[in-house]
Parts: sequence; structure tokens; C-alpha cells
Amino acid sequence: MYRYDEFDAAFVRERTAQFSDQVRRRISGELSEDQFRPLRLMNGLYLQLHAYMLRVAVPYGTLSSRQMRMLAHLARTYDRGYGHFTTRQNIQYNWPKLRDIPSILADLASVEMHAIQTSGNCIRNVTTDQFAGAAADEIIDPRPVGEILRQWSSLHPEFTFLPRKFKIALTGSPNDRAAIKFHDIGLMAALNGAGEIGWSVYVGGGLGRTPMIGKLINAYVPHEHLLSYLESIMRVYNRYGRRDNKYKARIKILVHEEGLETIKAQVEEEFAQVRGGRLTLPQEELDRIGAYFAPPPFKSLPVAAIDIAREKILDAAYGSWLENNLHPHRVPGYVSVTISLKPIGAAPGDATDAQMEAVADLAERYSFDELRVSHEQNLVLPHVLVSDLPAVYVALVEAGLAEGNAGLISDMIACPGLDYCALANARSIPIAQEISRRFAAPERQKEIGALKIKISGCINACGHHHVGHIGILGVEKKGTELYQITVGGDGTEAAAIGKILGPGFEAEAVPAAIERLVEAYIARRQTPDEPFISAYRRLGDAPFKEALYGTA
Amino acid sequence: MGLPKLAITPAKPDKLRALGVIALNGMFDEMDALGVLRYAIEEVLPGDIAIVSSFGADSAVLLHLVSQVDRALPVYFLETGKHFAETLAYVETLRQRFGLTRVTALHPDPADVARFDPDGQLWERDPDSCCHIRKTEPLEPVTAQFGGWVTGRKRYQTAERGVLPHFELTSDDRIKINPLAYFSDSDVNAYKAQHGLPEHPLYDKGYKSIGCAPCTSVVAAGEDPRAGRWRGFNKKECGIHFDFNGAIAKPMIGQKNLWKDGAFTADPFRAWAETDSPETARYAHVPVDVFLRNRVAFLSNPHPIGLHVSPADQVEQVEADLLRFASIAIAFPAFTDGRGYSTARLLSERFGYTGEIRAVGDVLADQVPLMRRCGITAFVVTHEPTRRALESGQLATVNLFYQPVGTTEVPVGTRPFLRRAQ
Amino acid sequence: MDILTGNELLSGATVYLDTEGRWVEDLQAARIFLPEEAEARDAAIAATKKTGRILSLEVEAVKLVDRVVVPLRIRERIRAAGPTAPAFERQHLDEDSHVSI
Repeated sequence: MYRYDEFDAAFVRERTAQFSDQVRRRISGELSEDQFRPLRLMNGLYLQLHAYMLRVAVPYGTLSSRQMRMLAHLARTYDRGYGHFTTRQNIQYNWPKLRDIPSILADLASVEMHAIQTSGNCIRNVTTDQFAGAAADEIIDPRPVGEILRQWSSLHPEFTFLPRKFKIALTGSPNDRAAIKFHDIGLMAALNGAGEIGWSVYVGGGLGRTPMIGKLINAYVPHEHLLSYLESIMRVYNRYGRRDNKYKARIKILVHEEGLETIKAQVEEEFAQVRGGRLTLPQEELDRIGAYFAPPPFKSLPVAAIDIAREKILDAAYGSWLENNLHPHRVPGYVSVTISLKPIGAAPGDATDAQMEAVADLAERYSFDELRVSHEQNLVLPHVLVSDLPAVYVALVEAGLAEGNAGLISDMIACPGLDYCALANARSIPIAQEISRRFAAPERQKEIGALKIKISGCINACGHHHVGHIGILGVEKKGTELYQITVGGDGTEAAAIGKILGPGFEAEAVPAAIERLVEAYIARRQTPDEPFISAYRRLGDAPFKEALYGTA
Repeated sequence: MGLPKLAITPAKPDKLRALGVIALNGMFDEMDALGVLRYAIEEVLPGDIAIVSSFGADSAVLLHLVSQVDRALPVYFLETGKHFAETLAYVETLRQRFGLTRVTALHPDPADVARFDPDGQLWERDPDSCCHIRKTEPLEPVTAQFGGWVTGRKRYQTAERGVLPHFELTSDDRIKINPLAYFSDSDVNAYKAQHGLPEHPLYDKGYKSIGCAPCTSVVAAGEDPRAGRWRGFNKKECGIHFDFNGAIAKPMIGQKNLWKDGAFTADPFRAWAETDSPETARYAHVPVDVFLRNRVAFLSNPHPIGLHVSPADQVEQVEADLLRFASIAIAFPAFTDGRGYSTARLLSERFGYTGEIRAVGDVLADQVPLMRRCGITAFVVTHEPTRRALESGQLATVNLFYQPVGTTEVPVGTRPFLRRAQ
Repeated sequence: MDILTGNELLSGATVYLDTEGRWVEDLQAARIFLPEEAEARDAAIAATKKTGRILSLEVEAVKLVDRVVVPLRIRERIRAAGPTAPAFERQHLDEDSHVSI
């Protein structure tokens, strides 16, 4: 893992001092709220429905045990004993008080964390694959570049007042688990003709009001020119992105309205000017940062097979957990374990301080002190010995975190919705809870198989509903909450935006509507192994539309 | 007034008019100071030209050139009453050495001095006014007698002079001749060495640009030679160089809103007005579109002008003409509009513009450090808390950078993002 | 009919303007402005803004159901009741976060 050196530490310390001073000036009345708002947002502090909300960055989703313990400490000391992990690999606290913010930030700084640029019209926290550095299918660990991007984008003087927020995601694996095509810039590791690793750059993806799939603007940018290339995109966006309408201010609209070729030409022109300049990233620098992310001292072991069928007979819940919550590791004898933050009936992504402590203990003991946060609002122990799985499971059961539902229908994404969020139009969490309860039975979930439901409480799409195999969007209509259902979205490399098939449903009717979609799929799938999304692609809208609304 | 007012002699710029300033300026090699001077004295304005010399550190070069063309050229020395004794001695040295026959000292009006500067401390309270009574006013009746003037100004001396040509037309149709316009510091030194010219006695003591004693200080190695003039004031010119009609040199009034070089100062510039003319405007920030529409007129306008860049303007369009501007104002109509940061970086980093870049508009204290990093050197600020923060030097800021931005952020270490502490 | 609501600066807590010109936690204590009291309402808004201590100041439409104040929007009902899932009590004002106009 990256460790701050004196420079990084001093940087965060100064930033904390700066914001502490701004808080002081706000409380004294020297700064008006209009002046303070952009400053607090730039430091991750929002005002929500019931209180302030502090969003803490978890850069590229990587945490150490020490950091997780500090997150638990903050939940206990300044909040109400829990935190909410988000789709941007961040954690949010829902009840902090303004006067405590400087102390919270100082505590975070003590474990090399911060809340810088988790809001505001700047470059936000860089996100990546939750299995980065562990996955069997990755061609490069994206975290060194993620760290370099974090540093490059931190308080960048030119790009702190962009037309709108700006999100960068990267993946080192061809199997995209970071939804890179739905980010302002998405980077996917790529090989050139010589077999060297660089990056394919996608631009103009996004969800929200106008969902767009990112477009390939450059098939191969070598490491050494990556920062120059990104700065070129940023400058074109900063200068030409729309500022007249906040709903049209994201880069996706610029790319859409001007056309990829125009933007590409502008970026190339800018790139030609800065290429080879000060932002050039020599291999030895990449190696130096990469050394922080060097693989831990793995044991040399034979491939370890897990007899899931046998385990299931012995303990069905453990069997389901093994079946769903493990991800192949690149080192034989190890797996990555997904810790589901989706117990049946719970609020997706929430974890109590005790659970965070328990997870930190597990990471320390069984995963070389490493943890990850996934954009699907789960936690990950990236490097677990197969032989340690029983012990890990027992500890997770004790912590109430042993739900074996990763990737299944009850492993939903849901934004905080109208229960917390000042922007929301409808509640998300209760909908997720109802669906979760309806499909609680493990056998039923297994029968349905891989199915991603994603729920947003408003058009801003923090719950990624556009890319849910089944997406649910809460809207307000005539004083009641109404939910639109979309089908066919996909956030992976096979990116697709879900389609609305008809009118919305009232909250109470949503679980049954989901059930009808599921039934339509089960009835028509070719084999039990054909996933929902594949069946939808093969079958088209018709059977699902009929399932939702009946025959016309 | 120090001298009786004489009947105003009409200037004789016919020949210059016939040639046109641009053509005239194209006639000479940049370094052909003697050629410029000879042509001005013998061809353009014979018998109608004079020189004002400060007898400062660099004056020997110009006077030596003059002596080669016409030892009887009228040379005026502004005896402000505030000079170093060494300067007065140096006047004698050069007069004798070069055989100059018409050196005249101009004194301030004692009545003016008694009225405006009874304690002799006006220079400290209001340097513009001090220059006015001791330089501009005494010079005024003399300027009226000549159609042209020779000056020793050089482009490199201050950013405002960056566009200085050999020949300029003043607003009252007089001609200013700047034979040394293209001379650099080292050119001046080389010339002095080549001709064995005597140095000003204070030069070796660290005074590189010498004016009146109270307003002149030693400059450090590597500092702009004129940095020692009016140190601590945002003042670069004494007024007499601005123009000869005295209008600009009048003391400036009103609130000092321009934050520059560590202090709030009166702003010599103003916004472009509908009624301004591209040919004669001066000290106005011209909008990019206005400049582009009247480019030729602005380029032949001899006065200092600035450029006003709105967020949507593309500075690439004026890249070739940037040297024309003594100041560039980048507009920030809302603090959330960050386009000006890119504009500033393009100007300073890509196009190498070294003049003043100022931010105007909605500038918050917390943005000042970011703006500085992007190359903005001056700020027009009316927001009271921001003014207080600037004056107290208490800008809450992060002094550590992760990115190399700006021309002065010398990268430190070997990191790819070249982080650096200020 | 309307009420005035906002969030208090220090705690972020949801507060309502009461009949005494104090910003309080209890929705039922909120001063109700009838349509013809627009002037008084606007004066209260102006006075509140002057304090600089109430954020997200909004005019909310309410109705009276058996003498109980009920906001028309769901959002406001959730603000008044606290989050429904997971259910938590609303944020409370601190000792020094009482604001009056």
C-alpha cells in the first residue's frame, strides 16, 4: 500500500489547517454561507436533509487495518456508530457537527486519509477495480497509476473550478469491475503492438440525467504520457465545457455535442504542446510508486480446490458464501473475499463501528493488512489463504457480515435516497430492503443467479440504476414516490444503458414487479447458467415488458 | 512655474506623419541606436529636438551617442532638489567628457515646493505628486518648445515598456525617440566598456537605476535593475515618460484596488470604454474582440494598452501580439468560472508572456494562491475580507504542490508529478 | 399555508421558525404563515438571512390535519420525522446553536 512520506503528510496537514481556518471564519461570521459552501464542498462536507454529511475519500478503494479502525473510531466518536460506503469507494458519515470537522480531518490525516475533493467541481476520488493487485485476470495493478493520479489531481490549481465534477476510473483488467465507461474519463489497461502495457482512454461516459457510454478517444497512451494526455483533456474541458447549464456541464455533453472527432482533435492539439514536458512519467518513477504496491509475501502453494458441494451439505450458508463471495486470485492458494454489506433487510453499504473493527482485525490477521472498498458497496479482503477461509467465515458470522450473496439479486446498490439526501426525490433504502427480504432465501437467490439491481433515489444516479441489469429510479409524482424500472443496463466492458419499459410503480408494488421480471427470465432462459443479462439481450424487451405491464 | 511660459511652438511631425510610425520603426536595425538618433536629429526634426537626461547609471550611453551626432543638442536635467550629491557631480563629469554645450538644469517651482512639500517628505506620502511637482511641471514649458524628444528608455527595464519602439507619437503630436529601446542590460554594459565611459559613482555600490535619492534603493543581484526605484510603491515610471502633456502624470486618486507586488496601489489602467479610440487609447484594457477588429490601429497606437480577456475568449487569437500589452486582465465574472486559470497558464507558460497578468472580478482570498500558481501576478480586489487577508498576508493556503504549474515552480525531486514546496 | 424551515449552522439540525421568532426543532411549534401574511413571511426570511446561522432556508407548504401540522412534500415529512431506513432520531441542536430573529 502507498504510505505517505513527509511531503504527503505535510500536504494533508496544511490542507486540514486551511479548512480548520475556514470553518473558524464561517462560525465567526467572517465567511458567508455562499462563500463557505464551495470551500466546504471541496473538503467533502455537504449539508443533507437532517445534518451535515462528511464524505471521506478512500483512494482507489484501498484501506489498511489501521485506516479502517480510524473510520470506526470516527463513526463512534463523532457520528452515530456507523458509516455508509458509497458507489465511489468512499465512506460517508451522516451526522457530524460543523465544529467537529477539523478534529475529524486531523484524525483522518493521522492515518494518511483525507476528504479532499470528494465534492465540488474538481477531479474527484479516483476509483478502480476492488480486486486490483489480486485478481487473476488483471494485466497490471492499476493502483500505482491511481496513486499518481491522486497526487496529480490534488488541489490542481487549474482544475479546481471546472464546469462540473470530474470522475476518473481505471481498471487493470479487461473484465471491467470499475464501470470505467461510465466515468468522465475511463482508463483500461491495454497492450500496444510491442506488447507494452499502457492505457486505452475513454472519455465522456457518465450516468445521471443524460447517461452516456464513454467513447474511445485514444486506444493506447503509454504510461509516460498519461498525465500529459489527461491534462490535455482536462484543459479542453475546462475551457470549452458548457457553463451555462449545470445539467449540460459534464464532459459527456461536450463530447456529445461537439462530436468525438472534434474533441479528439482539440485534445491532440493540446497534447502535442505538452507531450514530453514536465508531466512526463518516467518508468523509474512508476516503478518507485509501484514498489509501494508490491505484492505481499505470498506463500508458494499448490492450487487449492474448494469442494463447495461438500461444504454446502455440511453448512449451507457457508457453502453459499464460498460459492458467491470468492474471487480468483492470481496467486495459487489464495482468494479474494467479498464481505457483503448487504445482509438481508439491511441498508446497502452501511457498516457499524464494531463491524469495521472486526473487518480490520480480519485484514490484519488474514489479508496482509489490506482491505478494499468496492463500488458495489461491499468490502474486500484481497489476499486470503484458502486454508484460512473457515476462520474468516466464523469471524464474519460473528460480526453479522457473512451474507453469501455477492453478485446475487440481494447484493444491490442503493444510494442513501430521500431518507438522507437533500437531492433525492424518493427513498432508495426501503426499496432495497423490501426486495432483499422478498428474495431472502438462499435457494431462491441461487436459482436466479447473477443479477444486479441498482437503485437511485433521483436522476443523478448515484445508485447507478442505468447500468443495473434491473435498474430502479425513484421519482416524485404528485406528492408520492414512484419508481421507474429499467432493464438491460450493464456497467462492465459490455456497457449498456438500461431501458425504461413503461410507467413507474408505487413503492409497495416494486418488489412484486421485480419478481415478475425474474419469473419471466427464469421461464425463458435457455439453461440455468444463462444469466439474466444474457437472456435479456437474446430475448429483447417484449417478454419483460409483458411481465411488468401485462399484454396490451 | 520654474520657467516663464513660452509661446507654444507647434510641433512639426509632418515628416513623421508622411513616413508613418510603423514604417519609421521598421527602418532601423534594432541595435542601430546611432542610426536612429542621427536620422531623428538630422532628418526628421532638425533643430526641433532635445533630450531630458537623469544623469543616472545608464545615461552615459545615450549622451555619448548624442555627442557623436550633435554636441549642441539641448540637454535638460531635472534638478529636483532630491538628487544624490554623486549625481550632481556626475552631471559635470559627463558634460565635460562629452563636450556637451547646452546642458540646462530645470528646477521645481519654489512656490509649488513650499505649498505641496513643505517638509520635504512628499516622496513618501505620495510619490506620484512628488514627481509631478519636481519633474512634470518644470518640464512642461520646455516640452512645448520642441517637436521631439530623445529618451533613454529600454524595453527590458519594466514590463510596461515591453513594447517600446524606436519612434513613438505622443498624444499631442510630438515624437519620442528611443534609440536604446532594444538594448539589454548587457548591451549597455558592453557599450560602456567599449567606449570607456565613466560610471555613475553609485553604480558600483549596487544602484543600477538611479533617480532621486529618497526613491532609489540598491537592487540585489538578479533583480530587475529598476526594482530599486520607488521600492515598495507600485510605481515604475516617474510620469514624465508616460506622455508629455502631463495628463497621466497627475497624482492618481481614488481607492487603491490593485494588489501587486505585495501592496495595494492605484491602478494606472481602466476598463475599455465605448468612446475610446483604438488609435489614441492608453492605459485601458481592450477586450479581445475589440482588439482583433482594430488590430492595425492598436498596433500603431504608441501608448501602453492592456488586454481584457473574458472567460470564453481564446488567447491563442492574440498570441502574436501579446508583447503589445503592458497588462492583461483576466475576468472572473463568477468565482466558480475556472476558465481564467487555463487562460493564465497559456499566457504565462505557453506564450511566454511576462507582463502583468491580473485577475479582475469575483476573487476570493482562498483562490488567490491557486491563481498565483497559474501565473496571475496582480489582483483587483474590492471584497473587504479578501483585501484584509492580502494585506495581513494571512491567506490560508497549502504551500505544497503536487503539480508543476507556472513558470516559477521549479520541480523538486524526481517524482513524476514533480511535487514541490513553496 | 406555509412554514419556514432550514438547517442550523453548527449542528446542521432541521429547524423551524416558531411564533416567537426562534428557530426550534419542533415542527408543531412552527409559525404558520397564511397566504395573506406573505409580507411577514418575507420579513422573517430577511431577518433570518441576516443572522447567517440558518442554511437551506425554505418556505414549505403545509396543511393542518386535526390541528397537526403536516408538510405536503414527502421530503419535508422525512425531514420532520428523521430517516425511515435505517431509522434514526433527528439531529439535535447544541447548547450554543439556538438562533432567534
